[in-house]
Amino acid sequence: MPILTLLIALAVIAVVGFVLGRRRALASASGDSRKLHSLPSYYGYNAALTGLVPALLVLAVWSVAQPMVLENRAQSLITQEVADDGAMNLIMADVRRLADGLSTAVAQGALAPGEAATLTTDSTDVRAILADVGVALGSDVGPDTLQAAQAYRAGALSGALWKSALVLLIAIAGTAFALMKTNAAFRARNTVERGVMAVLIAAASIAILTTIGIVLSLIFNTVEFFKMYPAADFFFGTVWQPSFSGRGGASELGLLPLLWGTLYISFVALLVAVPIGLFAAIYLSEYAGPRVRAFAKPLLEVLAGIPTIVYGLFALLIVGPMLKDVFGADGALGVAWMTGDRAVITAGLVMGIMLIPFVSSLSDDIINAVPQAMRDGSLGLGATPSETIRQVVLPAALPGIVGAILLAASRAIGETMIVVLGAGAAGRLDLNPFEAMTTVTAKIVSQLTGDSDFSSPEALVAFALGMSLFVITLGLNVFALYIVRKYREQYE
Amino acid sequence: MKETNMTNAKISARAVQVYYGDNHAIKDVNVDIEDKTVTAFIGPSGCGKSTFLRTINRMNDTIDICRVEGDILIDGEDIYDAKVDPVQLRAKVGMVFQKPNPFPKSIYDNVAYGPKIHGLARNKAELDQIVESSLRKAALWNEAKDRLNAPGTGLSGGQQQRLCIARAIATSPEVLLMDEPCSALDPIATAQVEELIDELRQSFSVVIVTHSMQQAARVSQKTAFFHLGNLVEFGETDKIFTNPEDPRTESYISGRIG
Repeated sequence: MPILTLLIALAVIAVVGFVLGRRRALASASGDSRKLHSLPSYYGYNAALTGLVPALLVLAVWSVAQPMVLENRAQSLITQEVADDGAMNLIMADVRRLADGLSTAVAQGALAPGEAATLTTDSTDVRAILADVGVALGSDVGPDTLQAAQAYRAGALSGALWKSALVLLIAIAGTAFALMKTNAAFRARNTVERGVMAVLIAAASIAILTTIGIVLSLIFNTVEFFKMYPAADFFFGTVWQPSFSGRGGASELGLLPLLWGTLYISFVALLVAVPIGLFAAIYLSEYAGPRVRAFAKPLLEVLAGIPTIVYGLFALLIVGPMLKDVFGADGALGVAWMTGDRAVITAGLVMGIMLIPFVSSLSDDIINAVPQAMRDGSLGLGATPSETIRQVVLPAALPGIVGAILLAASRAIGETMIVVLGAGAAGRLDLNPFEAMTTVTAKIVSQLTGDSDFSSPEALVAFALGMSLFVITLGLNVFALYIVRKYREQYE
Repeated sequence: MKETNMTNAKISARAVQVYYGDNHAIKDVNVDIEDKTVTAFIGPSGCGKSTFLRTINRMNDTIDICRVEGDILIDGEDIYDAKVDPVQLRAKVGMVFQKPNPFPKSIYDNVAYGPKIHGLARNKAELDQIVESSLRKAALWNEAKDRLNAPGTGLSGGQQQRLCIARAIATSPEVLLMDEPCSALDPIATAQVEELIDELRQSFSVVIVTHSMQQAARVSQKTAFFHLGNLVEFGETDKIFTNPEDPRTESYISGRIG
């Protein structure tokens, strides 16, 4: 049974459960809803949820587990020598493709259902049959591949059947169980409440588990990378020169030039964003009238809605050439500091502009959260508004503002598109902000795009880079929390 | 009669009207507040007593929609005159608020805040002197002298309010406005602050807004009763509480309205 039909069937069972549950509860109170412990609809929800939730859970678990089990079983049928995990993955991809192809052939009538399960490579040209129905295979089909595919397909067919049967059974049994318990004294309201809580807990755990999953995948691949490339060379290497295996030669994969580029560009960006954003926030929250505020704040926040690739274009086409006109060889200042459009300063400036609404919006909220009583106290002592802001409002808002700045720093460190377009692609350790440099994120992109072989250190280095970046931003966030806590303890 | 009042009065209000947008909050108030006395403003919530208090140091200027008409004279000078700097005025007319609002700074810095921004001390020793005498006047010195560098927010509610009073008197104002200074305090802290108000009368003219009629009777020499934006009655506290002229005043102090 296709998954959509199954879901519709479950929905029907749930609706029927709801109606029956409600009716049964009302009947047990002889039609007087005041005698029920809970509102009638709670009994309905209870019946619907008791059937639906376990059925959906089983469905989800089964859908995830089935391919794994089948793949394991099919793998054991492959008899030929397999070099490593990568080669095995390729073979299994063939097997899945072949299994899908057989199903397509059956669906289009090119093969009888029984035939698909029994045909062998000796008697039939499988590749030709499948080509007829529009499934192109890269190579001829080996006997064990075909066998594995047939086993895979058979398993998938019977699995789907068992799955539908079990899920429907659970749904009906659950609903029936809930209906059986339904009577006027049953505390349906509390039961539904617990069910709602379980749903909320599940949502929260999905978020946490996903994070753990991402970190684990990073860790495994990073460990893999360090098996091929010495960790000391990665962390302390000052040269970034990857060489893809085709061209020969050893790669030099040093983190330092990329880290330096990341921190340098982020620093320039914060140098732009923090003063402008903070001053804008102070103006908006302390000086601007409601009318100015009403249009200036959304206008500023429009900046936050611009996709970063557009900022990248802006950097590449407008800011870069403009800076070169000033600092370049024939520039207005007559200094030949800048040789190309792409430079740390180009990317930093544009990234700073991107971060302004970030800093200003967060700081504005934080400054507004400082109690009016503080301002009144200071103004009542004869302080001017600007003295009040400098000496009372900003110190009170400081932990929040530091948090906002560190959050902006996290964004700057993780930014990719502006760097790719604005800062260039050369990993370089240099102090000159008019030189092209690149960052960790930009290099992760370039190491994984195009033809990458996932067993080479040149591709796996991306995971090590990602892990380093993750640790840095995590450290920054922890530091931000520490600062916020420390000041909060002192002031409240 | 009016003329003699003009000469004795520290603060004279003439035909004062206050509007919040279209809302006429204070209607034609005339009052003379004397130097070195405690004047209490009483009245039900929303009667305009706090609004009127805030016109005396122009704190209403910080509210966009607020508009003040009429004259308020302090020592014969119109404080709404264009050449008066509201910032200077507020140093002369100190204010203590309903809820204690110490700054997120140390006790010392809280008190030193006003003197510092007005440049009242020539050196650190003078500043120390101002801080000590202000804390002594506010009856907080003995409790605070060993922890001057501790945050002011760490004090108890009553101590915080006395810190705010010390902060207000550190700029040596001539008038001290208090907007329900005891409403967030327990009875013991209230008693301490009331005692303090009585002592402050030696040096300042004190105007206090209060919801507690007992408090008004205890601390003030003059009482003004506000109702619906009007100044209904103003006179000696004893007379207002024992023999009010206006029937509305009598109803309020005997608990029939408000």
